[in-house]
Amino acid sequence: MGFLAPAFLVGALAAGLPIYLHLLRRDTSNPQPFSSLMLFEAHRQSTTQRRRLRYWLLLSLRLALLLLLVLTFAEPYIKELLPGGTVKKVLVVAIDNSFSMRTGTRLQDAKRAALALLSGRRPSDRAQVLSISSQAHVLTQPVLDGGILRAAVAGIRPSDSRGSFAVLSTAIRSMAESEHAPIELHLFSDLQKSNMPASFKELVLPQNVSLQLHTVASVVVPNWAVESVSAPALVWDPHTTHVQAVIAGYNTPATVRTVSFVVNGKTLATRRIDIPASGRATAEIDSLELPYGFSRCSVKLEGGGDALPADDEYVFSIDRADRKRGLFVFQPSDTRSALYFESALGAAAPTAVVLDKITVERATGVDPAAYAFVVVSDVAALPEAFARRLLDYVRGGGNVLVALGTVAAQQREIPIFGGGAPVPRLYSRDAERFATVGQVDPAYPAAGSSAEWEGVKFYYAARVDERGSRVALRLQDGTPLVLEKPVGEGRVVIFASGLDNLTSDLPLHPVFVAFSERLVRYLCGTDTQTGPHLVDEAIALRSAREQAVGVEVIDPAGRRPLSLQESVTAQSYELPRAGFYEVRLASGRRDLVAVNVDRRESDLTPVETEVLALWRGSSAAIPDHGPLGHPSPSQAVAVPRSLWWYAMLCVLVAALAESALASRYLTTRWDEP
Amino acid sequence: MSRFLDPSMLRSLSGLDLVAKTVVEGFVAGLHVSADLGFSQEFAEYRAYAAGDDLRNIDWNVLARTDRAFVKRYRGETNSLVTMLLDASNSMQYASHAVSKIDYARFMAAAIFYLALRKQRDAAALLVFDDEVRNYIAPSARHGQFLRLLAGLEAAEPRARTNFTEPLERIQGLVRRRGIVVLLSDFYAPPAELIRGIEPLRVRGNEVVLFHVLDPQELSPRLRAPTVLVDLETHARIEVAPEYVVKEYGGRVARHIEALRESAQRAGLGYHLLPTDRPLDYALREYLTLRQGRL
Repeated sequence: MGFLAPAFLVGALAAGLPIYLHLLRRDTSNPQPFSSLMLFEAHRQSTTQRRRLRYWLLLSLRLALLLLLVLTFAEPYIKELLPGGTVKKVLVVAIDNSFSMRTGTRLQDAKRAALALLSGRRPSDRAQVLSISSQAHVLTQPVLDGGILRAAVAGIRPSDSRGSFAVLSTAIRSMAESEHAPIELHLFSDLQKSNMPASFKELVLPQNVSLQLHTVASVVVPNWAVESVSAPALVWDPHTTHVQAVIAGYNTPATVRTVSFVVNGKTLATRRIDIPASGRATAEIDSLELPYGFSRCSVKLEGGGDALPADDEYVFSIDRADRKRGLFVFQPSDTRSALYFESALGAAAPTAVVLDKITVERATGVDPAAYAFVVVSDVAALPEAFARRLLDYVRGGGNVLVALGTVAAQQREIPIFGGGAPVPRLYSRDAERFATVGQVDPAYPAAGSSAEWEGVKFYYAARVDERGSRVALRLQDGTPLVLEKPVGEGRVVIFASGLDNLTSDLPLHPVFVAFSERLVRYLCGTDTQTGPHLVDEAIALRSAREQAVGVEVIDPAGRRPLSLQESVTAQSYELPRAGFYEVRLASGRRDLVAVNVDRRESDLTPVETEVLALWRGSSAAIPDHGPLGHPSPSQAVAVPRSLWWYAMLCVLVAALAESALASRYLTTRWDEP
Repeated sequence: MSRFLDPSMLRSLSGLDLVAKTVVEGFVAGLHVSADLGFSQEFAEYRAYAAGDDLRNIDWNVLARTDRAFVKRYRGETNSLVTMLLDASNSMQYASHAVSKIDYARFMAAAIFYLALRKQRDAAALLVFDDEVRNYIAPSARHGQFLRLLAGLEAAEPRARTNFTEPLERIQGLVRRRGIVVLLSDFYAPPAELIRGIEPLRVRGNEVVLFHVLDPQELSPRLRAPTVLVDLETHARIEVAPEYVVKEYGGRVARHIEALRESAQRAGLGYHLLPTDRPLDYALREYLTLRQGRL
């Protein structure tokens, strides 16, 4: 006798509850206060004794009820010996169609072997077909119809996904919960080592499942692959673009290979590199001739020579754009802010921003529309004409950063932002002498983490009306430090202190560089630039505020995988195969997403035979099979016969008896004197 | 009239002074005699005028005839002293209905004070105790004493345990004038020990009366099922069955009360059992009887 779900036996611990209630709590009642117990004496009453004895029966019934319930969930079974010919089973055919199965004719071999198995099965055995990669795809239900099964096998195509045996075990475990007949699992795979999960526990199969492994990779195959490419996603000067590719060999001899750097189908450069035996080598290029806009780039390993040519190319995209120009308006008396801010942006090279610094007097004739963003740093008052143009600029979609230093706090209203006069607060006059950042909204693109802001001291801040704004950072006393308010199509970001080192020591901290760079990227709209992705990863199509806006995805084959409804509602898109995806996000930005296969698939080393034996051993003992994998009629086969139905019947009887007895006790209790 | 003497009704009154007035006025009205004549306006004797006596009390007729000043004295002015000993231990806070034992004792004490001070012009004192003397208001018949005594009663919240030995020893020193000593308690102590502590007061010439205040539930508890009882003073717990209460506890309480009554009578003390659901006139009548006896 055994249990199909022994984990439920832990529930037997619940038997402690009625024991506790009956033995420990049965004589207690709510204590009642009384003047004095001088005239009482401790006296165990005879009626209590009788009640105890009678309650033993109720206790026994309750214990029996609980234990039977636990037993039912644990599904007890006994093994019945049946002649081999009479046992009906379910044949599960799982075919690995992960990326590594593209090697040679592995997938065709696997399908051929699966078809042979299906054609040799007994007509009374149901069968089911699965394909396994990063997910288990159930292609058929358990059926007897051989035609359906053969069609399902024939329809399996190679994928670009990574294989996972843990996924197969999970699928089989959930299948075994509803299927009480013996399951015979046949896995057709190259049994790649990298497909094994980190923990062997994830592979364990239920008792009624027997596993048979059919390998289609008889020998260890050498394979080279472009393992990774390091390249910037956004460039403004292609002549300084540095691209580095890592070429890896798996079970390979030392060799010399040619690596090509390809942009939009045109090979721009080639490099010959020495790759050590089963090792890695790098190929680099310091200049790429790129047109403006997105370019489809790739690094290719020339000459073929291995069994898996699909991983000899690594794709990536680069967007070439002009440097973004930013306008920095400052008070003539304040030269530090511009210096610090420009230095911070210069230190963060990928920002690719040119900053035009002008004093507020010279801003009259400047048109903000020529700039990607505008910074108004601690200005007492903007020239009227410039203020009007700046407001039009923001309403039309421009972004402005306003820093409120000690001078700006004197104005009656913050330009563009509004909300009344800012209230200056000098922390240097308090006992603490300074304030620190107390709250960070990590979801805000420029905010960063609270750890970054540790130790930054603010000696001055201006409190502004935060209604209608999103606060990204707050000081310890709740004063908003960074807040954003949408104005028309654009947005105004307020930094409620100065950008100099007098109102805070922020410019002296590393976070100033990161914060300035993130903020400028956010204001420029280049903060969501993405690097290469792996197959089966998901890309976000819209933010929480960009609902009901259409998106567009064009896959490597030129098809639109999203339906019309999905293009309006989909929050993300899972990338199913390698190549370039053209994406138009809900924000209106267009992107070219390069997707590559997980390079762990390139290592074709098979799983050790000891590990495979262990996996097979974790499932039910496989009976001595006939030539096509099923027992001969003369052999007796032990088949588990579930007893849960009988256990459930006993639960019902115990529940009825318990109810009757308990209600009887309750009635008689009140009749007692 | 009894409506105004019902303890449950008195609990709804806002202050002890109002309670006392309600009780006493109701009680006096029920005597069917004039309160003035009966208590303080009945002529008793002449006394030679002494400096400080109220001039209104001089008998001018006698002065005219004899050329000597005499003041009239009435029966009510034959001063007596009532000393109230109030047990304010934790057991006194027990209540099975609207009025707790301490409330009942407070009502009764306030009513006696009102009767003594406002109607009889007696002096009155209050001593509150638990396991020690907690508060003592010295005897006086002056204006304002009544309010002082009521404040003392209000402040007498139950706490601590009862221990008659130490407080009764202190009382011997405090009660110097002869008078009426009223002890209000639930008397959860061995009767012999209790009487031994009180007896010296009687020996000194005081009239001592014990008012045994008990809740009806203490006299005959009603339990439906085995119950754990917690002693309000010691916090000891004991499991009690309904059968025990019916068969044994009732007898024990009766024996305790009887022992207390007999011991008190042997020592020449008055003893009265006062369940907290009993109207307060019974206690007032007892007080007046004692006072009459002292004149």
